[in-house]
Amino acid sequence: MSTHLIQIDRSLCSGFGSCLKEAPTVFALDGDGLATLLVAETADEAVLAAAASCPMGAIAVFDLETGQEAA
Amino acid sequence: MRHDPTFWLLARASGLTAYVMLTLSILAGLLVKSRPFRTLKPAAVVDLHRILAMLGLGAIAGHAAALVLDTTVKVSIPGLFVPGLVSYRPVWTSTGILAAELMVLVYASFSMRKRIGPKNWRRLHWATYAIFAMATVHGLAAGTDASRPWAFALYAVAVSSVAIAATWRFIVPPATARARRPAGRAAEITPRRRGEQPA
Repeated sequence: MSTHLIQIDRSLCSGFGSCLKEAPTVFALDGDGLATLLVAETADEAVLAAAASCPMGAIAVFDLETGQEAA
Repeated sequence: MRHDPTFWLLARASGLTAYVMLTLSILAGLLVKSRPFRTLKPAAVVDLHRILAMLGLGAIAGHAAALVLDTTVKVSIPGLFVPGLVSYRPVWTSTGILAAELMVLVYASFSMRKRIGPKNWRRLHWATYAIFAMATVHGLAAGTDASRPWAFALYAVAVSSVAIAATWRFIVPPATARARRPAGRAAEITPRRRGEQPA
């Protein structure tokens, strides 16, 4: 199991909230209604599903060991 | 004895209702990203966008049912789905059928987003501009009420509001980009060791 680093491109985020449904411990909506991170890194594999579910493709997940984009 | 005009009136009313719902849904969709009204939460606008599209499809179903039940224009059930089977202004009724079928496809794609992927889902959404254009032409060319001033005003307001919202959506940068510079897509991120705090 690897650790994931998550990044949200907030200029792309449109606040659909699909990431929250996949990984509620990692993502939240801020006062602007846009996605924000509760943690910067996680081992939770649900972030991969969250990145895949984003309609705007605004979430990038990196494998911390390799630096490669995981989703 | 004159024929019962109930279904003919319903067909016209439901057609116009569907057009209004489609227009409002498109406007809501265009507002999600450009957000001229900052107090509106995107998630709520997305919900509204979907609900309006669903109501539009409901009105289209009513439009179709009323046209079959009405006797002013002969429309068979296959004629509702296959373009070209309706003898009344065949080109313009077919345009309406194609617009409705495309709209069902775009609407259904929301539930299939995970299967088809976000990119394809967004690409499919481009069809909405064609749907709107086709629905407008269908209403103007096949609609009984199109020559009435109020109906013409309705079409004019719908087309200009969608044109303005679309222009705004593509010319004005998204609200978030205005508020802060985008951090940039983290493509060139360097690998870091476990335990290091992100900058």
